[in-house]
Amino acid sequence: MLLHAKSARLATWTLLAAALLLLVAAPLLVTFMAAFAGSWNGVLPAAPTLRHVAGALAADNFSSLVVSLQTAVFASLLAVLLGTWAAVCSASAAASPGLARLADAVFHLPAAVPSVVVGLGLLTAFSKPPLLLNGTVAIVVVAQSMLVLAFAYSTVSAAARGQDPMVALAAASLGASQLRVLLTVRLPLLLPAIAAAAGLAVALCMGELGATVMVYPASWRTLPVTVFALVDRGALFDAAANTLVLLAVTVAVLAVIAKCRGNSAVR
Amino acid sequence: MRTAAGPRVTPALVGSAGVGSARVTGAPKAGPASSFPHIPGSWRSWLWLAVPLLFVAVFFAYPLAQIGAQSFQDKYGAGVGLANWQYELSSAAVQKATAATLKIAALSTLGALLLGTFIALALSFVPFRGAGLVTRLIETVVSFPSFLIPLAFSILYGRTGVVNSVLGQLAPGLPALNFVNDVPGVVLAEVAFYTPFVVRPLLAVFSQLPRELLDVAGSLGSGPLAIVRTVILPAGLPALAASAGLTFLLTMNEFGIILFTGAKNVMTLPMLIYTRSIVTFDMPSAAVIACIQVALSLGVYCLYRWTYKKLSGANHAAPR
Amino acid sequence: MLSTMKKSRRAAPAAGHPTPAAAVEPENAVELRDVSVSYGTTVALSGLSLAVARGETVALLGPSGSGKSTALKAIAGFERPSSGRVLLDGVDVTDASPARRGIGVVVQQYALFPHMRVDANVAYGLKARRMPKAEIAARVKAMLEMVGMEGHAHKLPRQLSGGQQQRVAIARALAIRPQVLLLDEPLSALDASLRAEMLLELQALRAELPDIAMVYVTHDQSEALTLADRIAVMRNARLEEIGTAEQLYSRPAGAFTAKFLGGASLLPAISTTVVPDGGAMGSVLAGAHRMKAVAPFAVNPGGRVLVAVRPHAWKLAAGSPAAAAGWAGDGAGDGYTVNSLPGRVESVQWRGAGHRLQVDLIGLSERVTVDLPAMSAVPAPGDLVVLTVEPQHAVLVPAGEL
Repeated sequence: MLLHAKSARLATWTLLAAALLLLVAAPLLVTFMAAFAGSWNGVLPAAPTLRHVAGALAADNFSSLVVSLQTAVFASLLAVLLGTWAAVCSASAAASPGLARLADAVFHLPAAVPSVVVGLGLLTAFSKPPLLLNGTVAIVVVAQSMLVLAFAYSTVSAAARGQDPMVALAAASLGASQLRVLLTVRLPLLLPAIAAAAGLAVALCMGELGATVMVYPASWRTLPVTVFALVDRGALFDAAANTLVLLAVTVAVLAVIAKCRGNSAVR
Repeated sequence: MRTAAGPRVTPALVGSAGVGSARVTGAPKAGPASSFPHIPGSWRSWLWLAVPLLFVAVFFAYPLAQIGAQSFQDKYGAGVGLANWQYELSSAAVQKATAATLKIAALSTLGALLLGTFIALALSFVPFRGAGLVTRLIETVVSFPSFLIPLAFSILYGRTGVVNSVLGQLAPGLPALNFVNDVPGVVLAEVAFYTPFVVRPLLAVFSQLPRELLDVAGSLGSGPLAIVRTVILPAGLPALAASAGLTFLLTMNEFGIILFTGAKNVMTLPMLIYTRSIVTFDMPSAAVIACIQVALSLGVYCLYRWTYKKLSGANHAAPR
Repeated sequence: MLSTMKKSRRAAPAAGHPTPAAAVEPENAVELRDVSVSYGTTVALSGLSLAVARGETVALLGPSGSGKSTALKAIAGFERPSSGRVLLDGVDVTDASPARRGIGVVVQQYALFPHMRVDANVAYGLKARRMPKAEIAARVKAMLEMVGMEGHAHKLPRQLSGGQQQRVAIARALAIRPQVLLLDEPLSALDASLRAEMLLELQALRAELPDIAMVYVTHDQSEALTLADRIAVMRNARLEEIGTAEQLYSRPAGAFTAKFLGGASLLPAISTTVVPDGGAMGSVLAGAHRMKAVAPFAVNPGGRVLVAVRPHAWKLAAGSPAAAAGWAGDGAGDGYTVNSLPGRVESVQWRGAGHRLQVDLIGLSERVTVDLPAMSAVPAPGDLVVLTVEPQHAVLVPAGEL
């Protein structure tokens, strides 16, 4: 509606298509093709093969995938639990702006610090008493959940602050205790936001590299670390296959979360 | 008491029972029950917030403090005063890395802003069938791992990549194309990855802009570019400034993309922290560099929040 | 140990009252004693004292920002009074949470639980009270029947119209069989025709619940006049005055009430007689015009007062144009005829049920509103008229600032 001349519209669309193709489509497409390529010396890949993908699903690589999935799920659960908790508290404290502002500042802060520094901090702090976490799975989970906490918090707190306070008050006036109001009214109404936060958290955790590469123990290598090792060795097609598997599993987890969210909305 | 006042069928009786039982459980005197947990802002909110706060304190604040402490100690934990700081601040590597970090972040932000603004404008105001699908696709890309792009770049443009092998076949004498492992490759990859971060908030703002405004501006004789300049961009300015701040912060902190391009001559602060701590195990040095990086990041973060608050506040007060 | 202590502590206030059956019930279901609510430096409610008897409906009437909703929130426990006490049935509940008050509340936008079906919404308070399931089902059914929503039990709130949501909200509030029902602008979200219908339904509901004390917050005087036994007029976070609708309508104690409730015109005047106690007729001079009006309070000669006359109370004097011309002719006039005021018609508005005139009074620089019944002769704008009012339909109010 901004451009009325057909030529101008066509020019804009061409530019847009080129930009999107380069940004969004090309990386995905190239990764996809490389994952199934036996060799790629011409314009198009040659000798299609399932070797790389099969390799990504076998032995070591497959265990990396399982490790990634477990870490992402636990870290996301932790982050969403804490983020929701903090968001509900800070929304309840809307009348005391000091508390809400403090919560906002504190829970957004971890996202402002580089993941490498978060990893370095955990490594420095927990390689010595009182708490020895270096070399454990826990340190990876904690690192990832700390990094996605801000996203979980901001997603849920935006929804919590948008809630009509009268609904909770009406529930209270009907004789429901604080806990009952929380469990039967406030949290169910926040479910869509919580599911969205969980989806985002899982996706970010699955691809997390900066902090993980700082803290992971040799026995707990996540898929992004494996992909990096492959790239470092020059095994680009294997790296592409592993990345593809990572994306596929992420999308599958997101679909499951979206399904849960859909069910909860109907209920 | 409760059973005596239990529900009966006659409204009048049960009616009094309703309040009666409420009063019995009420105990409206003294004790914690009499504080106002349901009234926002009571001390209980603080207490409940303590749990997530504790998590952040233990696993974020305390580690940062430990990095700070480490920056004044040697490898063995003995205090060395400002020696580490003096050494690192005067080292050419750190100075170069700081400059490189800021340069890459600035270039990437600029690129993402330009490209993102164009994409958002085109999607919002020159709509076509399937624009919604494209929008959703862009939103999905945000949650993809950042290393997807440098990986694809390496496959395409790397030293042994597709483009170079094709070029090699076509014109064997030509020098190999090699920008991926250098600053341009990193910037290009970061632009590609962070453009959606600019597009998303802009799309949200543009969708709020009443279409009539554009029609009226058009009927008053403004051309498309004038409308963009005088109507659309002013409305999108707070969002644009916020995205600029956020993108600068994230590109400054970016690690995965640079690690994946494997560029030896692109050494940013996060890369330097990684190399010093994981590759050469020089923890005191890594700690000092981390402190510098945190100071920069938090500075940009505060600036970003402050600008955003100012801009959005000003826009609310005096809508254009 | 702890639980027994809790129990005994909980039982303590009840011990003060004998068993409900034998109790000498305090007269007031709701009582506010000098309740103030403030947010920071903003005072939302200032020193409100109010008592609502069992079975009584009190309307809190006032413009927005007058503190009426805040008063309701203080009763419900949604706001913590910064000073003063709130009593339910004689028991101080100032510090009790809403959950412990057992009050039914219907709020402006209904605040139904959007994720629960209608029956679950109505059952919510009963479940919170841990009522047996079978009884809940029976009570929910009865409540939905009472508000005529039994056919919609399995719908979600968003599938209902505004009026239906309203009925569910009322059923939900009444399901817990409260002694007190609070309604906060319950009709404001409905369109005009539905509002009239729901007002009738509320009136019928009121008759069905003879023991419940109702507090009804509204800015609409017709709702207040229809439903309320007593009306509390609120203004600037304060209670302006309280009385029966009849009292406030015919004998307003203040200028604000006279104007807000019934839209009276107020003519500044000087008293010319002594009325020692109030209740008798007083004579005043409005400009140069002599007027007689009911003086509900003591007045002394020379005292400044306002004469309040409602639009319906004005009559057009017979043969008025000529008489008016005479009045206008000799300027201020000699005030010969009591309660006759000359004026010039400024505008005429046909309102279906009659005509509404704006008349500029000559010699008083006041504009008054006059409602003429249907079928009466209507002057045209610019015409000179003489307005009269029966002395018992004019009332003196103290000359306060508006």
